Amino acid sequence: MSTRVLTGARRRRLRRPLASGPQKRMNKVMVDRMMWRTGFGPTDADRKRWIGRSVQDFVEALLTTPQGGLQGAAPYKQDREADPRTPLDPTEDDTDLVLEWCDRMIRLKNPFAERMAFFWHNHFATQRENVSPPQLMQQQIDLFRKYSDIAANPSAKFRDMLYEVGEGPAMLRFLNGERSTKNNPNENYGREICELFAVGILDRRGNVTYTETDIKELSRAFTGWEIEDDNPDQARAIFNEDRWDDTDKKVFGKTAAFKHRDAVDSVLAHWNHPFFLVTKLWNEFITVPPDKATVTDLIRTYKRGGTQIRPVLKKILTDPAMFANIEPDMIKPPIVYSVGMMRALRRGITSSQLSRALDEQGQEPYFPPTVAGWEGGLSWLNTNTALSRFDFANAVINDDNYEIKDPGSSESSTQAFTNAWNAVGKPWLAPKTRSALLFFSKNAAADNEDDRIARQRVLRTFMVGGPDGQVM
Amino acid sequence: MDRNDHQTHEGEQKPLDPGFSEAVICADCARSDSAALDIEPVDHMPIPIEAVNGFADGVPRVRRHDRKSFLKNGALGMAAVYGASKIDWTEAFEAAKAEAAEPGSVLVCLYLNGGFDGMQNFVPIANPDFGHYSTARPNVGRALGASAANQVGTTAMPGTGGRFGFANVGVSGVGNNEQTVGFDTIWGNGSGAGADMALWPAVNFFQNSSRSHFDSRDYWFRGTTDDNTETGWLGRWLDLYGSKTNPLQAVSLSSNLSKQIRTTRAPVSAVSNLNGVEFDVSNSGETDATEVMGAVSSVQAAKKNEQLNHAREAYNRTVRVARALKALENAPAGAGYPQSSLSTRLQLAATLIGAGLGTRIVTIDWGSFDNHANILNSMDPQLTTLSHALAAFQADLTARGVEAKVVTMVFTEFGRRVEQNDDGTDHGTAGPMMLMGSRVNGGLAGDWPGIAPAQRARRGDDLRAANDPRQIYAQVVSEWLGGDPNAVLPGRPAATARPIIG
Repeated sequence: MSTRVLTGARRRRLRRPLASGPQKRMNKVMVDRMMWRTGFGPTDADRKRWIGRSVQDFVEALLTTPQGGLQGAAPYKQDREADPRTPLDPTEDDTDLVLEWCDRMIRLKNPFAERMAFFWHNHFATQRENVSPPQLMQQQIDLFRKYSDIAANPSAKFRDMLYEVGEGPAMLRFLNGERSTKNNPNENYGREICELFAVGILDRRGNVTYTETDIKELSRAFTGWEIEDDNPDQARAIFNEDRWDDTDKKVFGKTAAFKHRDAVDSVLAHWNHPFFLVTKLWNEFITVPPDKATVTDLIRTYKRGGTQIRPVLKKILTDPAMFANIEPDMIKPPIVYSVGMMRALRRGITSSQLSRALDEQGQEPYFPPTVAGWEGGLSWLNTNTALSRFDFANAVINDDNYEIKDPGSSESSTQAFTNAWNAVGKPWLAPKTRSALLFFSKNAAADNEDDRIARQRVLRTFMVGGPDGQVM
Repeated sequence: MDRNDHQTHEGEQKPLDPGFSEAVICADCARSDSAALDIEPVDHMPIPIEAVNGFADGVPRVRRHDRKSFLKNGALGMAAVYGASKIDWTEAFEAAKAEAAEPGSVLVCLYLNGGFDGMQNFVPIANPDFGHYSTARPNVGRALGASAANQVGTTAMPGTGGRFGFANVGVSGVGNNEQTVGFDTIWGNGSGAGADMALWPAVNFFQNSSRSHFDSRDYWFRGTTDDNTETGWLGRWLDLYGSKTNPLQAVSLSSNLSKQIRTTRAPVSAVSNLNGVEFDVSNSGETDATEVMGAVSSVQAAKKNEQLNHAREAYNRTVRVARALKALENAPAGAGYPQSSLSTRLQLAATLIGAGLGTRIVTIDWGSFDNHANILNSMDPQLTTLSHALAAFQADLTARGVEAKVVTMVFTEFGRRVEQNDDGTDHGTAGPMMLMGSRVNGGLAGDWPGIAPAQRARRGDDLRAANDPRQIYAQVVSEWLGGDPNAVLPGRPAATARPIIG
C-alpha cells in the first residue's frame, strides 16, 4: 500500500472515523461491515478470525481465497405439504433459475465472487424476459463469475470482460446484436455501451461525452455476429464476416475498418471511461463520495493496471471512507438482505419463497427492470418494500422447518432478548433499538411455552426484519 | 440549454409562488434520471371505501380522534401524498367534498412506454404514402384491406381520417378475436362532429430529437425544452389552478409519482394498488407488531447517515399508514376489460373519477413498445389490449355517468424510423398522439408530413414532426382544464386553429 497524504477536506470528513487506515485493527462493527459489503454478512467464526486484525489483511484474504465448494444440503422446492421434494430445474423454470443462483450465494464459503458477479449483472443488466433460451443467461453469469473470482483469476481485466460480454450470445440477443448487419446495423448495443456500460452520458463536469454519430459508427463496427444455439447448452456466438460492415468507421476520432474488439478498445480509450468505471465500483461498496484525490488515484491505478479490476478493488475496499459513519450507512440491496438472512439463520432453499420475496422487494436476479439495472440506494425502501422485507423475515422465522425451542419458564426478559440475538447471528442494533425491543420483551406475555416462543418469534423477526436489519 | 427560458419561467412563477425558486435546482445541471424518477412522498392517506360508494350524507365532518369510525368499512387503498407540506387527510376530504359539488373536467394521461410505432397502428394507406410505407417495411408493414395469412390488414378510418387505416389487430370484428369494440368504434365516424377520438399522427418537440428514452420522456413530461425545469407541465397547471389541499386532485397510478404532475406546492399523490398495509408476526399471540415497529422505527440516526434514516423513515411511514387502517376491502370495479395491468389501472382510474373526490388528473404508464425486433409478435397483442381496454374504459365511464367529464390523452416519447430494421423498428422522431372522450372533437387533428424519403427528418430516416406536443397541451389547458396556456407552457409554439373539444 502506498501511503497517502490526506487533504484538509478529507481529514475533516474523517474526524470521527472508526479507524484511520487499512493498518488499523478491526473491531466487531468493522468486521461485520466488511463481511456485508463484500459478501452476505458475518458468522461468529468470521468475527473470531478477523477481530483485531487489519482491513488490509482482510482484503488480501478476500481477494486470494478461492470460492470453495458448496456447503450443506442441496436446494429443493416443496411449496405445498403434498408436494414431493423436487430438485431445481433452472432451464425449465425461471423461478428455479433464480433460486439456483441464490443457492450459490447462500452456500459458498467465500461468496465474494458471487457478490461481484451480481454487481456485473446489475452493470450489464440483461433481462431474462428478452433472452431465451435461459442457458444464454446462465452462460453470461458464468462469464461474470470468471471475472469476479479474483482469487482464481488475479489479473482479470475489464477490457477482456467487455470483449466477451459483447461477443456473448446473451448480450447479442438482448440488444439485437445478432440482427445487426452491414445493411441494417442495429444501434442498441452501440448506444448502451456508451450510455451505460463504459462511458456515461455526462462527465463529472457535466460535459456530453459522445454523439449520435459515435453511436452510428460504433454500431457498424459491431455488425456481423450471429448465435448458434441449436444445442442451448453449448450456445456460442459466431462472427460472420459477410454480415460485417468492412468499410472505415470513425469512432471517437479514430478512423479504421474497426471490428468488434477494435471498437471496444476505442470505447475504453475514451477519456471518461476510467472515471465512469472506478466511481461505479466505489459506489457499490461505499456511500460517502470519493474525494478528488482518491478519484485521481483510482483512475491512475486502473489505467496502470491496464483495466485490471483487482488493484482498484483493493484500493476501494481498504479506503477509510468505508468507516466514515460509525453506524451502518448503506441500505442492503434485497439480494444481500435476503440471502444474508438465510445465511445468518442457517436456512437453505426448500421452496420458491425466496424468489417471490426478492420480486416483492424489487430485485429478482435475472430480471432487472431496465437495461440500466436496479436504481438502488434510497429507492430500495418505500412503504411497499419495507413491508415486503419484514414479511420475508416473518416467513423465514415462521417456516415449518425453522424450530424455536421453548427456553423454559426461568428465562428472563433480558435473556429472551439475548437468546434471540444469538439465534439470528448477533446483528447490529442501535442502542435505542435494543431498548425498544427489551421494553417489548419485558412486557410480553411469558406464562407458558406458546407465549415464550411467540416472544422469540417477535424478537427475532424484528432484529433481522426491522429497520436496523436493512442497513450494513 | 434554454437558460434564458428558465429564468423567464422562474420570474413568472415567483410572485404567485414564493417557494418556487427553492424547488428548482439550477446549480446542478447534471442529468440524473434516478433523482428525477423518485421523489419522496410527504405522507400517506387512506382512501375510504365509502368514498367509492358515495358518502350517504356527503363527506362526513370528522374530528381527528374519530378516524376509526370514519374508516369502519376499511379503505380502498393508500395514496402516497407529495407536495410542499403535510396535509391532514380530513382536510383533503373536505376539499374533495367541496370540489365534488361541482365536478371539474378530468384529464387521463396514458403514456405508452418505449417509443410507440404509430405507423404500425395508424397506417398511411393513401398513395403515395402507402407505396413508400410498403417499400420501407416489407417484413413488418401492414396490408390494405382484410388481413392475409401472414400479414395484418387495415381498416380505413372514415371521414377526415381517410388517409389512414387502423391495423386490424386493434379494431372490432373478425380480425380481432371477434371483439365488438376497438379503435374503430372509439373513433366513430371520424367526421370531427361527435366522434370520440382525435389523432395527431406526427408529434414531437424537435426534428432532431434525442433518441434516448429517458431524455425524450422528460421533455414530454415537463412540457418544456428547458432541461432545468423540475416541474411537470400538469404540475405547473396544478400549482396555478389546482387545489391547495386535495392530493387526490392529481393521481399517478403507480408506486412512484409521474413527472407530469410534479408540482412545487400543490399536493398530488401516487396510488399503486388497492390493498392496505399492516405489520404482522405470525403466531405471536396478542402482540401488536405495528406498535412495536412504531417504537423501533422512530429511533433517530446521525443526521449525515442518510440511508439509515431513510430505512427507519420508510418503516415508520408504513406504521403510520397501518395505524390508520385495520380492515381492508377491494373496491367494486368496472366490467368488460381485457386481462391486463392496463385494465387494472384504468378500472382504478374510473373508480377514482366516479367517486367524486375532486380528481382532475390521472396518469398511467403502460406498455413495452421498444420493439427493435420481432415487432409483430410483441406490439400486436399490446395493440389489441390497448384498443379493448380504452373502449372498456369509455364504457365504464359512461356506466358511471361521468363520460362527458373525462378526456383521455395517449402519447409516447418518440415514434420509430420509417424503415424497418429486419423485423423491428428503431428509435425515430415523430410519434402519434390521441385524445379520446365523448366531448372530444374527433377525427384527424394534426398535420401529416408524408413519408416520401425527401419528406422525412434526419436525412431520410424519420417521420418528421408536424405538430409540437405543446400545441396540444396548450389546447388541453385552454379548452378543457381551464387556465392560461402561456403560464403553464412558457416558450410554447403557436397553437393550431382546430378546436379539440367539440
